[in-house]
Amino acid sequence: MKTLRDIRLLFWRKMMETLRNPIYIVVSMLTPVVYLLLFSPLLKKLTIPGYTPSDVLNLFVPGLLVIVAFLSGLFVGYTMIDEVKTGVIERFRVTPVSRFALLAGRVLRDLVNTLVIVIFFTLVAIPFGFHVHILGYLVLLILVALLLITTSSFGNALGLILKDEDRLSPIVQGINLPIILLSGMLLPMVLAPTWLQVIAHFNPAYYAVEAGRLLVAGHIFQAQVGEAFLFMVPLAVFVVFWATRAFNNALS
Amino acid sequence: MSEFIVTTKNLKKYFSSRSGTVKAVDGVNLAVRQGEIFGFLGPNGAGKTTTLRMLATLMTPTSGTINIAGFDVAKQPDEVRRHIGYVGQNGGSDRPATGVENLILQGRLYGMSHAEANERARELVKLLQLNDFADRIVYTYSGGQRRRLDVAIGIMHRPDVLFLDEPTVGLDPQNRANLWDEITKLKSQGVTIFLTTHYMEEADILSDRLTIIDEGKIVDEGTPEALKKEVGGDCIAIGVENQQDVGQKLKIAIKKEGYSTKITEESELIKIYVKDGALVVGRLMKLLDQQKVKLRTITITEPSLDDVFLQKTGYSLRDKDLDEGGQS
Repeated sequence: MKTLRDIRLLFWRKMMETLRNPIYIVVSMLTPVVYLLLFSPLLKKLTIPGYTPSDVLNLFVPGLLVIVAFLSGLFVGYTMIDEVKTGVIERFRVTPVSRFALLAGRVLRDLVNTLVIVIFFTLVAIPFGFHVHILGYLVLLILVALLLITTSSFGNALGLILKDEDRLSPIVQGINLPIILLSGMLLPMVLAPTWLQVIAHFNPAYYAVEAGRLLVAGHIFQAQVGEAFLFMVPLAVFVVFWATRAFNNALS
Repeated sequence: MSEFIVTTKNLKKYFSSRSGTVKAVDGVNLAVRQGEIFGFLGPNGAGKTTTLRMLATLMTPTSGTINIAGFDVAKQPDEVRRHIGYVGQNGGSDRPATGVENLILQGRLYGMSHAEANERARELVKLLQLNDFADRIVYTYSGGQRRRLDVAIGIMHRPDVLFLDEPTVGLDPQNRANLWDEITKLKSQGVTIFLTTHYMEEADILSDRLTIIDEGKIVDEGTPEALKKEVGGDCIAIGVENQQDVGQKLKIAIKKEGYSTKITEESELIKIYVKDGALVVGRLMKLLDQQKVKLRTITITEPSLDDVFLQKTGYSLRDKDLDEGGQS
Protein backbone atom coordinates (compact mmCIF):
# COMPACT_ATOMS: atom_id res chain seq x y z
CA MET A 1 0.00 0.00 0.00
CA LYS A 2 1.29 3.42 -0.95
CA THR A 3 0.75 5.02 2.46
CA LEU A 4 2.65 2.23 4.24
CA ARG A 5 5.51 2.61 1.79
CA ASP A 6 5.58 6.36 2.37
CA ILE A 7 5.58 5.84 6.14
CA ARG A 8 8.46 3.38 5.88
CA LEU A 9 10.54 5.78 3.77
CA LEU A 10 9.89 8.73 6.06
CA PHE A 11 10.48 6.64 9.20
CA TRP A 12 13.92 5.64 7.97
CA ARG A 13 14.78 9.23 7.11
CA LYS A 14 14.24 10.19 10.76
CA MET A 15 15.76 6.97 12.12
CA MET A 16 18.97 7.66 10.20
CA GLU A 17 19.15 10.98 12.02
CA THR A 18 18.99 9.18 15.37
CA LEU A 19 21.52 6.55 14.37
CA ARG A 20 23.92 9.22 13.12
CA ASN A 21 23.62 11.19 16.32
CA PRO A 22 22.96 8.68 19.11
CA ILE A 23 24.02 11.22 21.73
CA TYR A 24 20.37 12.19 22.12
CA ILE A 25 19.39 8.63 23.01
CA VAL A 26 22.33 8.24 25.36
CA VAL A 27 21.45 11.43 27.23
CA SER A 28 17.81 10.40 27.38
CA MET A 29 18.86 7.07 28.85
CA LEU A 30 20.91 8.76 31.52
CA THR A 31 18.06 10.95 32.78
CA PRO A 32 16.06 8.11 34.38
CA VAL A 33 19.23 6.68 35.87
CA VAL A 34 19.94 10.02 37.51
CA TYR A 35 16.43 9.94 38.97
CA LEU A 36 17.03 6.43 40.32
CA LEU A 37 20.31 7.38 41.94
CA LEU A 38 19.53 10.85 43.23
CA PHE A 39 15.79 10.87 43.88
CA SER A 40 14.56 7.37 44.75
CA PRO A 41 16.59 7.15 48.02
CA LEU A 42 14.43 10.02 49.32
CA LEU A 43 11.34 7.87 49.01
CA LYS A 44 12.60 5.14 51.35
CA LYS A 45 11.75 7.14 54.47
CA LEU A 46 8.27 8.14 53.33
CA THR A 47 5.18 6.30 54.44
CA ILE A 48 2.90 6.00 51.47
CA PRO A 49 -0.38 4.07 51.77
CA GLY A 50 -0.03 0.65 50.15
CA TYR A 51 3.76 0.69 49.82
CA THR A 52 6.53 -0.59 52.04
CA PRO A 53 9.99 0.97 51.88
CA SER A 54 11.29 -2.11 50.02
CA ASP A 55 8.87 -1.89 47.10
CA VAL A 56 8.81 1.89 46.84
CA LEU A 57 10.35 1.64 43.35
CA ASN A 58 7.11 0.01 42.20
CA LEU A 59 5.48 3.31 43.07
CA PHE A 60 8.10 5.44 41.44
CA VAL A 61 9.27 3.63 38.28
CA PRO A 62 5.91 3.33 36.45
CA GLY A 63 5.39 7.05 36.92
CA LEU A 64 8.82 7.82 35.56
CA LEU A 65 8.26 5.61 32.50
CA VAL A 66 5.09 7.50 31.72
CA ILE A 67 6.71 10.89 32.14
CA VAL A 68 9.66 9.91 29.94
CA ALA A 69 7.18 9.06 27.18
CA PHE A 70 5.24 12.24 27.77
CA LEU A 71 8.27 14.50 27.59
CA SER A 72 9.99 12.82 24.64
CA GLY A 73 6.85 13.45 22.64
CA LEU A 74 6.11 16.95 23.81
CA PHE A 75 9.46 18.44 22.82
CA VAL A 76 9.63 17.18 19.21
CA GLY A 77 8.15 20.50 18.07
CA TYR A 78 11.62 22.06 18.10
CA THR A 79 12.98 19.71 15.43
CA MET A 80 9.81 20.26 13.45
CA ILE A 81 10.41 24.01 13.49
CA ASP A 82 13.94 23.43 12.19
CA GLU A 83 12.53 21.47 9.30
CA VAL A 84 9.88 24.10 8.61
CA LYS A 85 12.55 26.79 8.50
CA THR A 86 14.86 24.86 6.21
CA GLY A 87 11.98 24.17 3.81
CA VAL A 88 12.02 20.38 4.25
CA ILE A 89 8.37 20.16 5.27
CA GLU A 90 7.30 22.40 2.40
CA ARG A 91 9.24 20.23 -0.02
CA PHE A 92 7.48 17.10 1.23
CA ARG A 93 4.10 18.79 1.02
CA VAL A 94 4.63 19.45 -2.69
CA THR A 95 5.17 15.72 -3.32
CA PRO A 96 2.15 13.40 -3.68
CA VAL A 97 3.04 11.71 -0.38
CA SER A 98 0.11 10.96 1.94
CA ARG A 99 -0.27 13.68 4.59
CA PHE A 100 -0.82 11.02 7.24
CA ALA A 101 2.51 9.42 6.29
CA LEU A 102 4.26 12.77 6.78
CA LEU A 103 3.15 12.65 10.41
CA ALA A 104 3.31 8.89 10.99
CA GLY A 105 6.92 8.48 9.82
CA ARG A 106 8.07 10.96 12.45
CA VAL A 107 5.87 9.63 15.25
CA LEU A 108 6.97 6.07 14.60
CA ARG A 109 10.63 7.04 14.95
CA ASP A 110 9.86 8.78 18.25
CA LEU A 111 7.97 5.69 19.38
CA VAL A 112 10.92 3.38 18.69
CA ASN A 113 13.34 5.73 20.46
CA THR A 114 11.08 6.04 23.48
CA LEU A 115 10.45 2.32 23.82
CA VAL A 116 14.20 1.70 23.73
CA ILE A 117 14.70 4.24 26.53
CA VAL A 118 11.80 2.92 28.60
CA ILE A 119 12.84 -0.72 28.35
CA PHE A 120 16.45 0.16 29.14
CA PHE A 121 15.34 2.04 32.22
CA THR A 122 13.17 -0.85 33.38
CA LEU A 123 16.12 -3.23 33.12
CA VAL A 124 18.31 -0.85 35.12
CA ALA A 125 15.65 -0.44 37.83
CA ILE A 126 15.27 -4.19 38.47
CA PRO A 127 18.54 -4.61 40.39
CA PHE A 128 17.56 -1.54 42.46
CA GLY A 129 14.50 -3.44 43.69
CA PHE A 130 11.81 -2.89 41.01
CA HIS A 131 9.52 -5.96 40.85
CA VAL A 132 7.81 -6.31 37.54
CA HIS A 133 4.95 -8.52 36.39
CA ILE A 134 5.72 -9.31 32.75
CA LEU A 135 2.19 -9.42 31.31
CA GLY A 136 1.16 -6.30 33.20
CA TYR A 137 4.31 -4.58 32.04
CA LEU A 138 3.52 -5.35 28.40
CA VAL A 139 0.10 -3.76 28.83
CA LEU A 140 1.84 -0.75 30.39
CA LEU A 141 4.07 -0.51 27.31
CA ILE A 142 0.92 -0.21 25.19
CA LEU A 143 -0.26 2.66 27.39
CA VAL A 144 3.15 4.30 27.15
CA ALA A 145 3.03 3.93 23.36
CA LEU A 146 -0.44 5.51 23.22
CA LEU A 147 0.75 8.44 25.29
CA LEU A 148 3.84 8.90 23.12
CA ILE A 149 1.80 8.78 19.91
CA THR A 150 -0.46 11.45 21.37
CA THR A 151 2.25 13.80 22.62
CA SER A 152 4.53 13.35 19.61
CA SER A 153 1.67 14.09 17.21
CA PHE A 154 0.71 17.06 19.36
CA GLY A 155 4.30 18.35 19.56
CA ASN A 156 4.82 17.97 15.80
CA ALA A 157 1.57 19.72 14.93
CA LEU A 158 2.35 22.52 17.36
CA GLY A 159 5.73 23.10 15.73
CA LEU A 160 4.13 23.02 12.28
CA ILE A 161 1.46 25.54 13.24
CA LEU A 162 3.58 27.94 15.32
CA LYS A 163 6.71 27.78 13.07
CA ASP A 164 8.79 29.62 15.65
CA GLU A 165 10.68 28.54 18.77
CA ASP A 166 9.78 31.68 20.67
CA ARG A 167 6.11 30.92 20.29
CA LEU A 168 6.49 27.20 20.96
CA SER A 169 8.51 27.49 24.16
CA PRO A 170 5.92 29.16 26.41
CA ILE A 171 3.33 26.58 25.40
CA VAL A 172 5.35 23.42 25.94
CA GLN A 173 6.97 24.79 29.08
CA GLY A 174 3.57 25.85 30.35
CA ILE A 175 2.09 22.39 29.78
CA ASN A 176 5.12 20.50 31.01
CA LEU A 177 5.14 21.28 34.73
CA PRO A 178 1.43 20.99 35.61
CA ILE A 179 1.19 17.70 33.71
CA ILE A 180 4.13 16.25 35.63
CA LEU A 181 2.95 17.47 39.04
CA LEU A 182 -0.65 16.40 38.45
CA SER A 183 0.32 12.98 37.11
CA GLY A 184 1.20 11.85 40.61
CA MET A 185 4.52 10.66 39.30
CA LEU A 186 6.66 12.14 42.10
CA LEU A 187 4.11 11.65 44.87
CA PRO A 188 0.87 9.70 44.36
CA MET A 189 -2.29 11.75 44.04
CA VAL A 190 -3.81 9.80 46.96
CA LEU A 191 -1.99 12.31 49.11
CA ALA A 192 -3.58 15.27 47.31
CA PRO A 193 -6.61 17.28 48.47
CA THR A 194 -9.85 16.60 46.59
CA TRP A 195 -9.73 19.67 44.32
CA LEU A 196 -6.28 18.66 43.07
CA GLN A 197 -7.47 15.10 42.45
CA VAL A 198 -10.37 16.48 40.40
CA ILE A 199 -8.05 18.51 38.19
CA ALA A 200 -5.76 15.50 37.79
CA HIS A 201 -8.60 13.64 36.08
CA PHE A 202 -8.15 15.91 33.05
CA ASN A 203 -4.53 14.83 32.71
CA PRO A 204 -3.83 11.89 30.39
CA ALA A 205 -0.54 11.20 32.17
CA TYR A 206 -2.44 10.77 35.47
CA TYR A 207 -4.44 7.83 34.08
CA ALA A 208 -1.33 6.21 32.68
CA VAL A 209 0.57 6.58 35.96
CA GLU A 210 -2.29 5.20 38.08
CA ALA A 211 -2.82 2.26 35.74
CA GLY A 212 0.93 1.72 35.42
CA ARG A 213 1.34 1.13 39.16
CA LEU A 214 -1.36 -1.52 39.13
CA LEU A 215 -0.05 -3.12 35.95
CA VAL A 216 3.52 -3.67 37.13
CA ALA A 217 2.06 -5.45 40.17
CA GLY A 218 0.10 -7.71 37.80
CA HIS A 219 -3.38 -6.23 38.43
CA ILE A 220 -4.46 -6.11 34.82
CA PHE A 221 -8.24 -6.31 35.08
CA GLN A 222 -8.78 -3.29 37.28
CA ALA A 223 -11.14 -0.36 36.80
CA GLN A 224 -8.24 2.13 36.64
CA VAL A 225 -6.61 0.21 33.79
CA GLY A 226 -9.83 0.20 31.78
CA GLU A 227 -10.32 3.86 32.56
CA ALA A 228 -6.84 4.68 31.27
CA PHE A 229 -7.54 2.98 27.93
CA LEU A 230 -10.97 4.58 27.69
CA PHE A 231 -9.37 7.98 28.10
CA MET A 232 -6.19 7.46 26.07
CA VAL A 233 -7.43 5.68 22.94
CA PRO A 234 -9.95 8.35 21.83
CA LEU A 235 -7.49 11.08 22.78
CA ALA A 236 -4.74 9.52 20.64
CA VAL A 237 -7.12 9.11 17.68
CA PHE A 238 -8.30 12.69 17.98
CA VAL A 239 -4.81 14.20 18.23
CA VAL A 240 -3.46 12.13 15.31
CA PHE A 241 -6.42 13.24 13.21
CA TRP A 242 -5.88 16.87 14.14
CA ALA A 243 -2.13 16.71 13.50
CA THR A 244 -2.67 15.13 10.06
CA ARG A 245 -4.95 18.03 9.22
CA ALA A 246 -2.18 20.43 10.18
CA PHE A 247 0.02 18.81 7.50
CA ASN A 248 -2.80 19.17 5.03
CA ASN A 249 -3.87 22.73 5.80
CA ALA A 250 -2.80 23.84 2.33
CA LEU A 251 -5.93 22.45 0.78
CA SER A 252 -8.31 22.37 3.71
CA MET B 1 -2.04 19.36 -24.33
CA SER B 2 -2.19 23.02 -25.25
CA GLU B 3 0.87 25.15 -25.84
CA PHE B 4 0.49 26.57 -22.32
CA ILE B 5 1.54 24.32 -19.47
CA VAL B 6 0.56 26.66 -16.64
CA THR B 7 -2.42 28.97 -16.80
CA THR B 8 -4.22 30.95 -14.13
CA LYS B 9 -7.51 32.76 -14.42
CA ASN B 10 -8.28 35.75 -12.25
CA LEU B 11 -6.25 34.31 -9.39
CA LYS B 12 -6.75 36.03 -6.04
CA LYS B 13 -5.45 35.58 -2.54
CA TYR B 14 -6.73 37.87 0.19
CA PHE B 15 -5.55 37.77 3.78
CA SER B 16 -7.56 39.34 6.53
CA SER B 17 -5.57 41.10 9.20
CA ARG B 18 -6.41 43.44 12.04
CA SER B 19 -5.90 46.44 9.80
CA GLY B 20 -8.23 45.11 7.11
CA THR B 21 -8.01 42.90 4.04
CA VAL B 22 -4.64 42.55 2.35
CA LYS B 23 -4.95 41.81 -1.35
CA ALA B 24 -1.70 39.87 -1.73
CA VAL B 25 -2.63 38.57 -5.18
CA ASP B 26 -5.39 40.44 -6.94
CA GLY B 27 -6.63 39.02 -10.22
CA VAL B 28 -3.55 37.50 -11.80
CA ASN B 29 -3.76 35.86 -15.24
CA LEU B 30 -0.71 33.93 -16.34
CA ALA B 31 0.07 31.74 -19.32
CA VAL B 32 3.36 29.87 -19.32
CA ARG B 33 4.49 28.18 -22.53
CA GLN B 34 5.89 24.70 -22.60
CA GLY B 35 9.69 24.67 -22.54
CA GLU B 36 10.30 28.32 -21.75
CA ILE B 37 11.87 30.11 -18.83
CA PHE B 38 9.13 32.28 -17.47
CA GLY B 39 10.25 35.12 -15.21
CA PHE B 40 8.00 36.56 -12.54
CA LEU B 41 9.55 39.86 -11.52
CA GLY B 42 8.49 42.23 -8.78
CA PRO B 43 9.67 43.94 -5.61
CA ASN B 44 9.54 42.21 -2.23
CA GLY B 45 5.98 41.87 -1.05
CA ALA B 46 4.50 42.18 -4.56
CA GLY B 47 2.75 38.81 -4.34
CA LYS B 48 5.26 36.63 -6.19
CA THR B 49 5.76 34.03 -3.50
CA THR B 50 2.06 33.89 -2.64
CA THR B 51 1.25 33.22 -6.31
CA LEU B 52 3.93 30.57 -6.50
CA ARG B 53 2.70 28.84 -3.34
CA MET B 54 -0.78 28.63 -4.83
CA LEU B 55 0.62 27.16 -8.05
CA ALA B 56 2.62 24.59 -6.08
CA THR B 57 -0.47 23.30 -4.17
CA LEU B 58 0.77 24.77 -0.89
CA MET B 59 -1.93 27.38 -0.50
CA THR B 60 -5.59 27.59 -1.47
CA PRO B 61 -6.58 30.62 -3.58
CA THR B 62 -9.34 32.91 -2.36
CA SER B 63 -10.76 32.68 -5.87
CA GLY B 64 -9.71 31.95 -9.44
CA THR B 65 -8.48 28.80 -11.13
CA ILE B 66 -5.09 27.26 -11.86
CA ASN B 67 -4.41 24.66 -14.49
CA ILE B 68 -1.07 22.86 -14.67
CA ALA B 69 -0.24 20.20 -17.28
CA GLY B 70 -3.96 19.78 -17.92
CA PHE B 71 -5.01 19.34 -14.28
CA ASP B 72 -6.99 21.65 -12.07
CA VAL B 73 -4.94 22.42 -8.93
CA ALA B 74 -7.99 22.63 -6.67
CA LYS B 75 -9.56 19.40 -7.91
CA GLN B 76 -6.56 17.17 -8.63
CA PRO B 77 -3.72 18.34 -6.41
CA ASP B 78 -1.98 14.96 -6.40
CA GLU B 79 -1.91 14.82 -10.22
CA VAL B 80 -0.50 18.34 -10.28
CA ARG B 81 2.10 17.37 -7.68
CA ARG B 82 3.35 14.56 -9.89
CA HIS B 83 4.02 17.03 -12.71
CA ILE B 84 5.72 19.84 -10.83
CA GLY B 85 8.97 20.37 -9.02
CA TYR B 86 9.29 23.11 -6.44
CA VAL B 87 12.30 24.76 -4.87
CA GLY B 88 11.23 27.18 -2.15
CA GLN B 89 13.15 30.17 -0.87
CA ASN B 90 14.56 28.10 1.99
CA GLY B 91 15.61 25.27 -0.28
CA GLY B 92 14.30 22.09 1.26
CA SER B 93 17.29 19.81 1.52
CA ASP B 94 17.38 17.79 4.71
CA ARG B 95 20.43 18.95 6.67
CA PRO B 96 21.32 15.78 8.64
CA ALA B 97 21.35 13.59 5.49
CA THR B 98 23.80 13.42 2.58
CA GLY B 99 23.05 14.97 -0.79
CA VAL B 100 22.59 11.59 -2.45
CA GLU B 101 20.29 10.38 0.35
CA ASN B 102 18.18 13.49 -0.15
CA LEU B 103 17.91 12.79 -3.87
CA ILE B 104 17.10 9.10 -3.47
CA LEU B 105 14.40 9.74 -0.87
CA GLN B 106 12.82 12.37 -3.10
CA GLY B 107 12.76 9.93 -6.02
CA ARG B 108 11.29 7.18 -3.88
CA LEU B 109 8.56 9.46 -2.57
CA TYR B 110 7.49 9.80 -6.19
CA GLY B 111 7.33 6.02 -6.52
CA MET B 112 10.74 5.16 -7.98
CA SER B 113 12.43 1.93 -6.91
CA HIS B 114 15.68 2.26 -5.02
CA ALA B 115 17.69 1.28 -8.12
CA GLU B 116 15.86 3.78 -10.33
CA ALA B 117 16.27 6.54 -7.78
CA ASN B 118 19.93 5.76 -7.33
CA GLU B 119 20.56 5.88 -11.08
CA ARG B 120 18.68 9.17 -11.47
CA ALA B 121 20.53 10.66 -8.48
CA ARG B 122 23.91 9.83 -10.03
CA GLU B 123 22.72 11.36 -13.30
CA LEU B 124 21.82 14.62 -11.55
CA VAL B 125 25.05 14.65 -9.56
CA LYS B 126 26.81 14.74 -12.90
CA LEU B 127 24.45 17.22 -14.57
CA LEU B 128 24.56 19.78 -11.75
CA GLN B 129 28.17 19.05 -10.82
CA LEU B 130 27.58 17.93 -7.28
CA ASN B 131 30.37 15.30 -7.38
CA ASP B 132 32.63 16.96 -4.83
CA PHE B 133 30.07 16.98 -2.04
CA ALA B 134 27.15 14.71 -2.95
CA ASP B 135 28.12 12.09 -0.36
CA ARG B 136 28.69 14.56 2.45
CA ILE B 137 26.14 15.57 5.09
CA VAL B 138 24.28 18.69 3.95
CA TYR B 139 25.18 20.56 7.18
CA THR B 140 28.70 20.91 5.77
CA TYR B 141 27.62 22.52 2.47
CA SER B 142 28.24 26.11 1.43
CA GLY B 143 25.24 28.20 0.39
CA GLY B 144 25.95 27.71 -3.30
CA GLN B 145 26.39 23.94 -2.97
CA ARG B 146 23.12 23.64 -1.07
CA ARG B 147 21.26 25.63 -3.73
CA ARG B 148 22.49 23.30 -6.43
CA LEU B 149 21.35 20.29 -4.39
CA ASP B 150 17.96 21.97 -3.81
CA VAL B 151 17.51 22.37 -7.56
CA ALA B 152 18.60 18.77 -8.17
CA ILE B 153 16.01 17.56 -5.62
CA GLY B 154 13.40 19.66 -7.41
CA ILE B 155 13.94 17.90 -10.75
CA MET B 156 14.61 14.40 -9.36
CA HIS B 157 11.29 13.03 -10.64
CA ARG B 158 11.59 14.70 -14.07
CA PRO B 159 8.80 17.24 -13.58
CA ASP B 160 7.28 19.06 -16.53
CA VAL B 161 7.47 22.39 -14.73
CA LEU B 162 10.03 23.50 -12.18
CA PHE B 163 9.09 26.35 -9.83
CA LEU B 164 12.02 28.29 -8.45
CA ASP B 165 11.32 30.88 -5.77
CA GLU B 166 14.08 33.52 -5.70
CA PRO B 167 16.71 30.91 -6.55
CA THR B 168 19.78 33.13 -6.19
CA VAL B 169 18.93 35.13 -3.07
CA GLY B 170 21.90 35.14 -0.73
CA LEU B 171 24.39 33.82 -3.29
CA ASP B 172 27.60 35.63 -4.17
CA PRO B 173 27.99 36.83 -7.80
CA GLN B 174 30.01 33.83 -8.90
CA ASN B 175 27.59 31.28 -7.48
CA ARG B 176 24.73 33.27 -8.93
CA ALA B 177 26.26 33.13 -12.41
CA ASN B 178 26.87 29.38 -11.99
CA LEU B 179 23.27 28.77 -11.03
CA TRP B 180 22.10 30.77 -14.03
CA ASP B 181 24.12 28.41 -16.21
CA GLU B 182 22.52 25.40 -14.52
CA ILE B 183 19.04 26.81 -15.01
CA THR B 184 19.71 27.40 -18.69
CA LYS B 185 21.01 23.84 -18.91
CA LEU B 186 17.77 22.52 -17.43
CA LYS B 187 15.79 24.42 -20.03
CA SER B 188 17.80 22.74 -22.78
CA GLN B 189 16.68 19.43 -21.24
CA GLY B 190 13.10 20.42 -21.94
CA VAL B 191 12.01 21.49 -18.44
CA THR B 192 9.67 24.46 -18.30
CA ILE B 193 10.94 26.84 -15.64
CA PHE B 194 8.86 29.28 -13.69
CA LEU B 195 11.08 31.59 -11.70
CA THR B 196 10.33 34.43 -9.33
CA THR B 197 12.94 37.07 -8.71
CA HIS B 198 13.32 40.65 -7.59
CA TYR B 199 16.63 40.98 -9.42
CA MET B 200 16.07 42.75 -12.75
CA GLU B 201 19.34 41.48 -14.13
CA GLU B 202 18.35 37.90 -13.37
CA ALA B 203 14.94 38.28 -15.00
CA ASP B 204 16.54 39.93 -18.00
CA ILE B 205 19.24 37.33 -18.56
CA LEU B 206 17.22 34.18 -17.89
CA SER B 207 13.66 34.80 -19.00
CA ASP B 208 12.29 34.01 -22.41
CA ARG B 209 9.21 35.91 -21.34
CA LEU B 210 8.45 37.69 -18.15
CA THR B 211 5.62 39.16 -16.20
CA ILE B 212 6.05 42.10 -13.87
CA ILE B 213 3.90 42.16 -10.75
CA ASP B 214 3.39 44.92 -8.22
CA GLU B 215 1.01 45.08 -5.28
CA GLY B 216 -0.74 41.89 -6.34
CA LYS B 217 -1.48 43.04 -9.89
CA ILE B 218 0.25 42.38 -13.17
CA VAL B 219 1.94 45.51 -14.46
CA ASP B 220 3.31 44.35 -17.78
CA GLU B 221 4.31 41.23 -19.68
CA GLY B 222 6.34 40.23 -22.71
CA THR B 223 9.87 39.30 -23.73
CA PRO B 224 12.56 41.31 -21.93
CA GLU B 225 13.52 42.91 -25.29
CA ALA B 226 9.96 43.92 -26.12
CA LEU B 227 9.39 45.35 -22.66
CA LYS B 228 12.51 47.45 -22.85
CA LYS B 229 11.62 48.60 -26.35
CA GLU B 230 8.30 49.89 -25.01
CA VAL B 231 10.21 52.32 -22.87
CA GLY B 232 11.80 53.57 -26.08
CA GLY B 233 15.40 53.85 -27.18
CA ASP B 234 18.58 54.70 -25.34
CA CYS B 235 19.56 57.32 -22.85
CA ILE B 236 22.61 59.54 -23.45
CA ALA B 237 23.75 61.16 -20.25
CA ILE B 238 26.25 64.02 -20.57
CA GLY B 239 28.06 66.04 -17.97
CA VAL B 240 29.37 69.44 -19.15
CA GLU B 241 31.42 72.24 -17.62
CA ASN B 242 29.44 75.17 -16.23
CA GLN B 243 26.20 73.32 -16.56
CA GLN B 244 24.30 75.95 -14.53
CA ASP B 245 25.14 78.60 -17.12
CA VAL B 246 24.97 76.68 -20.39
CA GLY B 247 22.46 73.96 -19.52
CA GLN B 248 19.29 75.76 -20.47
CA LYS B 249 20.62 77.01 -23.82
CA LEU B 250 22.05 73.59 -24.61
CA LYS B 251 18.78 71.84 -23.98
CA ILE B 252 16.97 74.14 -26.37
CA ALA B 253 19.63 73.59 -29.01
CA ILE B 254 19.41 69.81 -28.67
CA LYS B 255 15.65 69.92 -28.86
CA LYS B 256 15.91 71.82 -32.18
CA GLU B 257 17.98 68.98 -33.66
CA GLY B 258 14.85 66.83 -33.52
CA TYR B 259 16.28 63.41 -32.51
CA SER B 260 15.44 63.46 -28.82
CA THR B 261 12.19 62.11 -27.42
CA LYS B 262 12.74 63.61 -23.97
CA ILE B 263 15.38 65.67 -22.19
CA THR B 264 15.78 65.88 -18.43
CA GLU B 265 18.30 67.79 -16.34
CA GLU B 266 19.77 66.71 -13.04
CA SER B 267 22.35 68.50 -10.92
CA GLU B 268 25.40 67.10 -12.74
CA LEU B 269 23.84 65.46 -15.77
CA ILE B 270 21.69 66.15 -18.75
CA LYS B 271 19.82 63.08 -19.95
CA ILE B 272 18.79 62.87 -23.58
CA TYR B 273 16.44 60.04 -24.55
CA VAL B 274 16.84 58.98 -28.20
CA LYS B 275 15.80 56.08 -30.44
CA ASP B 276 19.30 54.84 -31.21
CA GLY B 277 22.19 56.26 -29.22
CA ALA B 278 24.97 55.17 -31.57
CA LEU B 279 23.48 57.02 -34.57
CA VAL B 280 22.99 60.27 -32.72
CA VAL B 281 26.11 60.60 -30.66
CA GLY B 282 28.21 62.03 -33.54
CA ARG B 283 25.71 64.82 -34.23
CA LEU B 284 25.49 65.58 -30.53
CA MET B 285 29.28 65.99 -30.28
CA LYS B 286 29.27 68.35 -33.24
CA LEU B 287 26.56 70.42 -31.60
CA LEU B 288 28.52 70.64 -28.37
CA ASP B 289 31.50 71.91 -30.40
CA GLN B 290 29.39 74.55 -32.11
CA GLN B 291 27.98 75.66 -28.78
CA LYS B 292 31.56 75.77 -27.37
CA VAL B 293 30.48 73.57 -24.47
CA LYS B 294 33.20 71.45 -22.89
CA LEU B 295 32.19 67.83 -22.33
CA ARG B 296 33.28 66.15 -19.08
CA THR B 297 31.51 62.77 -19.20
CA ILE B 298 29.24 60.90 -21.57
CA THR B 299 27.48 57.53 -21.19
CA ILE B 300 25.00 55.77 -23.41
CA THR B 301 22.72 53.24 -21.69
CA GLU B 302 20.07 50.97 -23.05
CA PRO B 303 16.85 50.95 -21.05
CA SER B 304 16.70 48.40 -18.24
CA LEU B 305 13.75 46.53 -16.80
CA ASP B 306 13.90 49.05 -13.98
CA ASP B 307 13.01 51.76 -16.52
CA VAL B 308 10.06 49.60 -17.56
CA PHE B 309 9.00 49.26 -13.95
CA LEU B 310 9.50 52.97 -13.34
CA GLN B 311 7.42 53.92 -16.33
CA LYS B 312 4.55 51.60 -15.37
CA THR B 313 4.39 52.18 -11.63
CA GLY B 314 5.94 55.60 -11.12
CA TYR B 315 8.69 54.35 -8.85
CA SER B 316 11.90 52.41 -9.22
CA LEU B 317 12.12 48.74 -8.37
CA ARG B 318 15.41 49.40 -6.57
CA ASP B 319 13.89 52.09 -4.37
CA LYS B 320 10.91 49.94 -3.54
CA ASP B 321 13.13 47.08 -2.46
CA LEU B 322 15.18 49.39 -0.28
CA ASP B 323 12.06 50.76 1.36
CA GLU B 324 10.63 47.38 2.19
CA GLY B 325 13.89 45.58 2.89
CA GLY B 326 13.98 41.97 4.01
CA GLN B 327 12.36 39.11 2.20
CA SER B 328 8.93 38.88 0.72
